[in-house]
Amino acid sequence: MRVIIFTGLCLLLAASMANAQIQPQTMQPSETMDEPGKNWFMSVTRDAGYIFDASNGEMQGLISISGHTPAVQPSLARREFYAAASYYSRGVYGDRSDVLTIHDFENLSPVAEVKIPNKITSLDFRAYIGLLSDGKHVAVSNMTPAQSVTIVDVENRSFVGEISTPGCALILPVQNNDFMTLCGDGTLMLVEVDGNGSESNRSRTSKFFDVQDDPVYDRPVETAAGWLLVTNEGKAFNVSAAGNRVNVGNAWDIVTTEDAEENWRPGGKQLYSIHKRLGLLYISMHQGKQYTHYEPGTEVWVFSLATKKRIARIELAETPAETIMVTQEAEPLLLIADEEGKTHVYDALRFTHERTIEGPQADLFEDL
Amino acid sequence: MNKNSIVDRTYYWIDQTARQQTLNLARLISRRNFLSRLGMMLAGAATFPLLPVSRSFAQESVPEIGNNQSCEYWRYCALGGTLCTCCGGTITSCPPGAEPSPISWVGTCRNPVDDRNYLISYNDCCGKSVCQRCGCHNTERDKPVYFPSNADSILWCFGVDHRTYHCTVAVVLGESSTDN
Repeated sequence: MRVIIFTGLCLLLAASMANAQIQPQTMQPSETMDEPGKNWFMSVTRDAGYIFDASNGEMQGLISISGHTPAVQPSLARREFYAAASYYSRGVYGDRSDVLTIHDFENLSPVAEVKIPNKITSLDFRAYIGLLSDGKHVAVSNMTPAQSVTIVDVENRSFVGEISTPGCALILPVQNNDFMTLCGDGTLMLVEVDGNGSESNRSRTSKFFDVQDDPVYDRPVETAAGWLLVTNEGKAFNVSAAGNRVNVGNAWDIVTTEDAEENWRPGGKQLYSIHKRLGLLYISMHQGKQYTHYEPGTEVWVFSLATKKRIARIELAETPAETIMVTQEAEPLLLIADEEGKTHVYDALRFTHERTIEGPQADLFEDL
Repeated sequence: MNKNSIVDRTYYWIDQTARQQTLNLARLISRRNFLSRLGMMLAGAATFPLLPVSRSFAQESVPEIGNNQSCEYWRYCALGGTLCTCCGGTITSCPPGAEPSPISWVGTCRNPVDDRNYLISYNDCCGKSVCQRCGCHNTERDKPVYFPSNADSILWCFGVDHRTYHCTVAVVLGESSTDN
């Protein structure tokens, strides 16, 4: 018995000596965010924007947004993120307060906010916010349900004014500080904005699609020279602004007659993406009947915007694509968010699966 | 001029003016014109209840089948949101304490019982945390957000104190003339 007690005491002593040799750790200062590197992106969810490096799948940090924020607009030049936000003083009730929150790159923290009219739209559509071409003005979509656009001067941190856009929604920034907006009567409206952020002129195209028969998706994507609009049934229109008018290109087929016979249709959430410099379109496709325009894609089709021809089909049998984005690097990666909250990273030129990033459920992707 | 005289003269003036105006009116418009205008007014008053909103109240009842706590239920063909029937409300009323939005989007759904199309108003119930039960995203005749009246993605908590979304009800407005 004595031997056992002696041995026990020796072990206890040895253990405490071993503990004494470790330097106690202290909390270090928080990390700061590095300069956005190649293939960095943001996964925007309901409450936050998660920043990842798609090259290795590592998370870099997060910005907090309100549960009513439609999307996050980065400005790489000003090293800031802009998020329209709506808050209630008691969470889901109480006094409403809408602001444009400005977050910095270094700490991913709010550094300023601009009070804007309590009218912002609160759905996760990327085109509900846009940075105008001067890099100084941010446009935010409103709905009360009357539709309008709020203009904020992010340089002076001030609210500039509101531009009425009856019957039209979404913000498609073009050159000269102007923006286009999609209208329910099948037209595009060009709103010209001067250097002070005020409307100077507006003009409208003639009707080029029928919203009842085959509307263009409310998920427009920017090309090198303008924007690409795709209809539910798979027709594409290249649109661009020149001076005070909008050019609408001839419709071309994402879905050919043969594809239509097999019931191929575009579908998903943020369902297509464009590599601007390479002129490549990636679009999520599925087989289904009319009104399946939200159905996740079982394939991603790749088109050349120069030839307007399909050049590849990527099969995704087990992980249907809901939201997709191609990064803008010379060796781009294709991000595919599935319905289970995973982000699958593909080599966008070789179409090989590189890695899968677990959570969160991305509503939208933003390239950094 | 005493007080009584002033009153008498005033009455006389009113009578004269009224008589003159009536005569002028009689000269200017025919009796047939008057009758036609009166008729239009009466017809208008009679037609007013036939407008879609009022008509729904006039309808006796809609033949029903199915479980209204299921996304498959016929009235939900263009509903995007969560079902108030699963959250303490009914098919036509909000759960306790939630505020019904007076503005809504509409869909056209086929009732499997009588095989007729009905116009459905999807009203959001607002001002409380989102009820995360019975999520539903049906898209029949759904339109993009730039065509809001048929866009099921939009949160329709407008014209209420708080824009926070709770759940959605599906009210039959009346029969629809839409084919297919």
